[in-house]
Amino acid sequence: MHRGFGLARGGLRQYVETFVDMSKKVFVEYSRYPIAFIALFVQIFLIILLFIFSAFAFSSGEPGDPRVTTFAGMMAYGFVTNIFLSFTLWEVGFSIREEQVRGTLESLYLSPTNKFSNLLSRIFMILSWTTIMCAAGLGLVSVVMGGLPASNVGMGLLILVFTISGFLGLGFLFAGITIRLKETAQILVSFFQFFFMIFSAQFFPFSVLPQPVLDYISRWLPVSYAVDLFRTTLLGIPPELMPGNYWLEFLIVALFGIVSPVLGYFGYRAVERKARSAGTLGEY
Amino acid sequence: MAGETVARGLGLARPGPRTSLGIIWTVFLARLRIILRYKGAILGESLLPVVFAGLPILLGIAVAGDEQTAAENFFRTTAGAGQGASDFRLYMLLGSNTFMVVSLMLWLIGYWVRREQETGTLEALYLAPAKRLHVLAGVTSYTLVRALIAFVSAMVIGSIVFQVNPLAGNFPAALGYLILGIPALWGISFIFGALILRIKEANSVIQLLQWVLAFAMGVYFPVTVFPALVRYAAMAFPPTLMNDAMRSTLLGLTSIYGPWYIVLGLMLMAAWTVPLLGYEFFLAVERRIKKDQGVGQF
Amino acid sequence: MNLRAEYPERPSRDIVKYVGACGRGTMPEPIIRVENLSKTFMSKVRKKGKRERKQVHALADVSLDILDGEIFGLLGPNGAGKTTLIKCLTTLLLPTSGKMWVNGFDVHKEEDKVRASIGCMLMGDRGLYWKLTGRENLDFFGALYHVPKAPRRKRMDDLVSLLKLDEFVDRTVETYSSGQRMILAFAKSLINDAPILILDEPTVTMDVPTARELRHIVKELNRQGKTIVYTTHLMHEAEELCDRVAIIDHGQIIALGTTAELKASIRTEDVVEMEGIFPEEAVERMRAVPGILDVGAVAMDSGLTKLDVRCRDSRAMLSKIIETASGNGASIQFIKPKEVTLEDVFITKTGRTLSVDTRVLGEKEAPRGR
Repeated sequence: MHRGFGLARGGLRQYVETFVDMSKKVFVEYSRYPIAFIALFVQIFLIILLFIFSAFAFSSGEPGDPRVTTFAGMMAYGFVTNIFLSFTLWEVGFSIREEQVRGTLESLYLSPTNKFSNLLSRIFMILSWTTIMCAAGLGLVSVVMGGLPASNVGMGLLILVFTISGFLGLGFLFAGITIRLKETAQILVSFFQFFFMIFSAQFFPFSVLPQPVLDYISRWLPVSYAVDLFRTTLLGIPPELMPGNYWLEFLIVALFGIVSPVLGYFGYRAVERKARSAGTLGEY
Repeated sequence: MAGETVARGLGLARPGPRTSLGIIWTVFLARLRIILRYKGAILGESLLPVVFAGLPILLGIAVAGDEQTAAENFFRTTAGAGQGASDFRLYMLLGSNTFMVVSLMLWLIGYWVRREQETGTLEALYLAPAKRLHVLAGVTSYTLVRALIAFVSAMVIGSIVFQVNPLAGNFPAALGYLILGIPALWGISFIFGALILRIKEANSVIQLLQWVLAFAMGVYFPVTVFPALVRYAAMAFPPTLMNDAMRSTLLGLTSIYGPWYIVLGLMLMAAWTVPLLGYEFFLAVERRIKKDQGVGQF
Repeated sequence: MNLRAEYPERPSRDIVKYVGACGRGTMPEPIIRVENLSKTFMSKVRKKGKRERKQVHALADVSLDILDGEIFGLLGPNGAGKTTLIKCLTTLLLPTSGKMWVNGFDVHKEEDKVRASIGCMLMGDRGLYWKLTGRENLDFFGALYHVPKAPRRKRMDDLVSLLKLDEFVDRTVETYSSGQRMILAFAKSLINDAPILILDEPTVTMDVPTARELRHIVKELNRQGKTIVYTTHLMHEAEELCDRVAIIDHGQIIALGTTAELKASIRTEDVVEMEGIFPEEAVERMRAVPGILDVGAVAMDSGLTKLDVRCRDSRAMLSKIIETASGNGASIQFIKPKEVTLEDVFITKTGRTLSVDTRVLGEKEAPRGR
């Protein structure tokens, strides 16, 4: 008895093949938006430059002022974490919304494809491209500024990997929220973007935040430790949140990177299950 | 030769000024109804400028070491550029608020066109006999009201958060410059709306443009810090003129364009030439699209 | 319900009586005239990583007249050019060449008047604002069509009542089913009470009773004097509604006329299939009836006989056939007249069925069978 093409195969190989095919689909989709690629690169460059010029405006004016270089570096590297967070929330979370509106979400759900690989494939392509753009943007800024500090690059990249992984968990969670809240999710995503921008001090050092804000909000956010550790590692200075305990901060970031995607994924599946039983999956 | 005109139907009577105003009002009301049904959307416009002002303020204090030094350093830097300002908090708040108004125009007009195209309502608008100009007038009136509300509420919230007093300067005059500067923003938005109709990658174009404008406007610093060529290019932008006019009025600074009557003259000229050019460009692109694929092609 | 209370009712006319009848009464004037209309698109095709540009002739030298007060059908497969023609008529698309007049107005020079002369349902269930209620959408578009406030409100109430929109008209469109959106889109096309109504596949996604109701309303609107241009894939709709039909394929009109004329153009006989018990005498008597060309009889396994009665016009002959058979001892168990359909006309003219997508991205093929 012929059981159909989708029923016969299974296992890791099919999973990987599906992942590759879906990644290709995302790549082809995005390659047909060339302006989006250019816009992303120019945006990253301009935003970093905008804040660096602002930093210059507050500097003492002495040539080669190390404070300017340090804080400009803090801003630039912190901005990189902001870009990854934004893209994870928007591209992962909001891509679900777009599929919902177009009606392709239901089509995806009708197929036997693993839903997680759909999410992962989209993430993989976006993050690859974002990484290249950030590196290029930072390189260009470094040329403009006459050099950005970059110590312990390997360690910095490892911390970035954990950070991105942690952000993915947030992205999965928002994907679930989007299925539930639909358009209201867009506002929620914007709110959280700006929440982390301020309270995880992505554009400035933690030292300028009022002490109560630092103690009762910032220190409770894993994202704060990720931002702090990433940029201070690259700048070659002690972390701000736990200056005497680098490895404890590293542990927090590592745990964030491991636990967050797991929790986020289960959260997403729970909401998705509920939407399927309520029949609201295709509703937009 | 076609047969005699069958003059039936309610819409064939020649529409007078009252009908035209009715269309503008209807479009305005429809847009307002739509946005009020997106929970929390308007709130963001009042909070966003505060967040965007907070970022350079906090960064600046960190660079300088403390508040006092930050104010001194900022004054020295801006004085060297011809516009010494010690109240850096109000400077940043005003800059980011003006930037928000510019962004709002791009999104509300430029992106509106694309959104209508995607949902199919653009074709529905084109099928109606109402003049495009009247429909655009309705949309632009709505953006003016929304921008003003957002500007004032953001200034109020920002003033409380950053503990600044915008009323110490000539706030009504600054508001007047804002209203005078908005038609030029409409013109820029028509141009980008037309490009978006053609290119169709609305989000990317607008996101790119708004950051280019933020840079060129001197949101966080005077444009006189730029090299000569870049400076003159930036000064040619209507949003830069508007930002500088408002800033100099509110903070008691000398405008980089000269005395107040020159600033006023330039703004008046921009207020009618830019929207006219923008509208003509929009019509030209629209005509091209109708020859090619039709306006509904999304 | 008379949807046009503010205008005197036009006397009903039998369009068929006038069409093609030289010297017999006055021919209604064309309310839409198309002369030598052509539209060419440049299309980008990706083949093996390369991009090629090809010319697509969506419309090729189309000429037709649509008479005032008729229901005019446009039939054709996907990609035939129906929507392109409609878009040119409604000013959404500029043609490459040719002239058009709608309600006496030149489409190129008097666009506003042309748009005011037409009520359209082109985008299916798109073209509505999701965040506005149905009523707000009608009010909005009514204003854009220059309908004054008071008549607009009354007209909205009339349309809500006629189309049974009460249940959902005060909810936002985003909560509607696709059928409800289609009904609202139809209501929107009626808001300005234009003399011409253009409906592009209006019953797609509607359930059967709603579609039937819509067709009934379309006939009523036509009785009240509206000219209706109706595009559809569904044969029975075209046959039920349309006074005349144009079949379009590859951007050209390949057939135009009343449904009777189109059917007559490809075949000269119908067949009536019958099953039952037919004595020899009954068969002979049927053969002798004027108008019946031949009767073929085949014995079936069930013991019954299958007859194929060939005649000129099965509708006209049916009662005579039944009468003759029954009157000569036949016991009819099953009867089925097989008529020529419009799809048969299309197949004969083009060699394809109406379900084949004809969007050819490349050299245009000449239509076959003309």
